[in-house]
Amino acid sequence: MRKFIHWIIPISAALCGAIAVLLMVGIIGVLVQRGASALNWSFLSSGLQNAGAAGGILYQIVGTLILITTALAVAAPLSLAIALLHSVYLAPESRWKHALRESLLFLNAIPAVLIGILGLLVFVQYFDWGKSWLAGGILLGVMILPTLAVTLIEKITSIPNRYVDAARGLGLRTPQIVSSVILPQSVSALFTGSMLGLARAAGETAPILFAAAVFSGATLPDGIKNNPVLALPYHIFVLAQDTFNPAAQTNLWGSALILLAIVMAFSLAALPLRLRAHEEAHS
Amino acid sequence: MTSAAPAMPAWTRARPGWDPIAIAAIGLTTFIGVALLAALVALIAQAIPVVQYEGWRLITEADWFFRHERFGALAMIFGSFAVALIALALATPISLGAALLTSEFLPPSARLAVKSIIELLAGIPSVVYGLLGILILRDWIFTLLTPFDPISGDTLLTAGVLLAVMIIPTVMTLCDDALQSVPRRQRQAARGLGLNRSETILYVSLPQAWPGILAALLLGLGRAIGEMIAVFLVIGRMDNQAPSLAAIIAPAQTLTTKIGGAEAFIAMGNPLHWSAILSLGSMLLLMTAIAAGAAALLRHFTVGRSA
Repeated sequence: MRKFIHWIIPISAALCGAIAVLLMVGIIGVLVQRGASALNWSFLSSGLQNAGAAGGILYQIVGTLILITTALAVAAPLSLAIALLHSVYLAPESRWKHALRESLLFLNAIPAVLIGILGLLVFVQYFDWGKSWLAGGILLGVMILPTLAVTLIEKITSIPNRYVDAARGLGLRTPQIVSSVILPQSVSALFTGSMLGLARAAGETAPILFAAAVFSGATLPDGIKNNPVLALPYHIFVLAQDTFNPAAQTNLWGSALILLAIVMAFSLAALPLRLRAHEEAHS
Repeated sequence: MTSAAPAMPAWTRARPGWDPIAIAAIGLTTFIGVALLAALVALIAQAIPVVQYEGWRLITEADWFFRHERFGALAMIFGSFAVALIALALATPISLGAALLTSEFLPPSARLAVKSIIELLAGIPSVVYGLLGILILRDWIFTLLTPFDPISGDTLLTAGVLLAVMIIPTVMTLCDDALQSVPRRQRQAARGLGLNRSETILYVSLPQAWPGILAALLLGLGRAIGEMIAVFLVIGRMDNQAPSLAAIIAPAQTLTTKIGGAEAFIAMGNPLHWSAILSLGSMLLLMTAIAAGAAALLRHFTVGRSA
């Protein structure tokens, strides 16, 4: 019996590990294999034709970039404010501090489709904006807010006490310590959090479903109200529901590969600093 | 999740000051907090009329006919639970096994490499999973179900399998964190008492890590219940499928696919219909909040124990 347990656990663990890795390798492999044939320069540099069956995805990429830049512009100052309030100004172990942390976790758990429906409720119903790129950017910003804020909070909490003690000893006041010690020390976390946030925002479809994205007929926005954008994930989502046209299928795989490449590029950009933070935390 | 609470930074003990940065931080945080809270309250408040109109029928009947103003959402509630439980049933053994491998058997550097890759994969957008589901998995499931004479490859089962693949990275990495939070000394003591590596896992690591593992499963469940895009593409979206075992291999509807469908736009024209859609949203919010809340409680419990 002991021998059986001794062997069965490592073997089944290795098996599960192999299944997980093979699944993931298979997914990436299929995407690269099928998507690569669709890729060429004109696919990236021209607009859509024939309802997705021909032409390229230039404005889908542009629209996605507009949305994620806006999302970051919304989320960065807010999460910096939340992180500073949480880690610098609120007393340790205080009720407010716990409440803030739990609220961030709760916000992170809200399903993307609910953020989308809240967008419909707030921006379309109350503000009467129609579909707007700004609404989409704000909604995506809300989605990535917890990621950014938690990354910042973890970094600020890990700043060695002696840095702050030294600054205090030099006679610096709290706002001066924040601007000359805490903020410079947090730049790397702001970068990492931003990359993680951009990766997430680029791939989300549900938040922009109702209040921001359209399938065709938009290029660059020139206002806020009734100024929708095209977006890569939304494009895939709509085109995927009409998969019987083989030409559209090729474009679909190509779009998915480009989307994956964008998301992975941002995630990879965040990786080195995360690994370093991980090592520091465990050394 | 690091289990050990970091030392209390000295500067947080500083006298409270009303400096400009503090005012800006409090102001911005309050602004976003109030705005989000107001939006959630608006969502729930607008869901109330349909609750008054339908009463318990809202969750006990599977008859959603918005043109006749009938809003029984049981089919969607069943669909949401069914896909999430199928996903969890499939994902749990694989994720836990893989987490045991990374946490208990691999050397730290290999563990970090595997974990980094898995976390990268957790970032694959759900629409990409949906595409794989619609172009590949759907046909596989259809072939698999041929003996049962299915209508199509769009079934609750298809959505559940797809969701299982989607939540494996999240559940695995959180299980690994939970196992890692068991102090190394405990394992050393067990080995010193003559338990072999597998017995150490069975009698020390798993029992100590179970609140964290349960929390990981709950977070996976929450993610599965809340996922819309991928499920939408493979579930067939057939309304009013009464709960039954056979419904697992038939097209159906979940809370998220109903909310995310084109019906939301139609609903804006009729306050009662709109209220019904928002009531589905409120149910979804409640379910994910319960899952997240329970996970937070469990993790709190873990940290308390291992500290």
